[in-house]
Amino acid sequence: MPTRVPQTDVLLTVMGAPHESDLITSVLRLSQALLESGATVQVWACGYATMLTQQGLGDSKPRNLAAWSTAYPSMAAVVQDMLAAFPGRLHWFACRFCSDDRGAVAHIEQVPTRAPAKFAEHVAAAGKTLYLGVM
Amino acid sequence: MTAAESTRALAIVERAYRGTVETQFSDALYCAFLFHRHLGGLDVLLRGPAVGYAARAARTPPLRLGGTTFSTGTEPGQGLSVLLESGVGVWAEEPDLLAYGLAGEDSLLPGVRSVPGGSMAARWSGYRAVFFL
Repeated sequence: MPTRVPQTDVLLTVMGAPHESDLITSVLRLSQALLESGATVQVWACGYATMLTQQGLGDSKPRNLAAWSTAYPSMAAVVQDMLAAFPGRLHWFACRFCSDDRGAVAHIEQVPTRAPAKFAEHVAAAGKTLYLGVM
Repeated sequence: MTAAESTRALAIVERAYRGTVETQFSDALYCAFLFHRHLGGLDVLLRGPAVGYAARAARTPPLRLGGTTFSTGTEPGQGLSVLLESGVGVWAEEPDLLAYGLAGEDSLLPGVRSVPGGSMAARWSGYRAVFFL
């Protein structure tokens, strides 16, 4: 079934990589603030941001040797929780080329992949597009 | 060079705040603890924005994400405290402390020492290894 491009107030295009800075923290906080204020949001993950939603991440991070019984959610779980909290108002897409280029080929089912050629459709469907980070 | 220094390594941390949500506990300081345990001792030099790790007043506030509270973000101050308690020497460069408003007497976590900018380079030859973390 073809992926429907949602009409949203904002498109957040995540170009920068996780673990390099607090960029992803900013993406999540910005999304949360927008959603709580009533706006609709779609995220397009490019580059290494496609690693955030891999099924292989499971629900939790590897164990912390210093806090064995503490649960630390994986990024896939964090994204899943956010999508579940804002049904129909938050959408998360992964760039297919960047995913394939990194072997990130098994996204969680809530995150469809999209060909780079379709990116313009998402820009057109958003009231405002923000680019976060650089590839 | 002292005998104690000759077995130790120096880890320089100058890139900071790398992935509070995705990294959580497994940051450079967590890695530093493992190096300290397994490589025969470690000292840490904080430079640039990483001097903020030593700020006594720093806190990692919980985040509201989705319908839940996310409270396992990276806490570098706690990471440094673990290192200090386990015998890791922690230094922070003075020009960067000044730049980030941490030059006050009580600004730093207990046990963190300040050094003039670049001065640790004079001690490199006393370490078994020097690397960036």
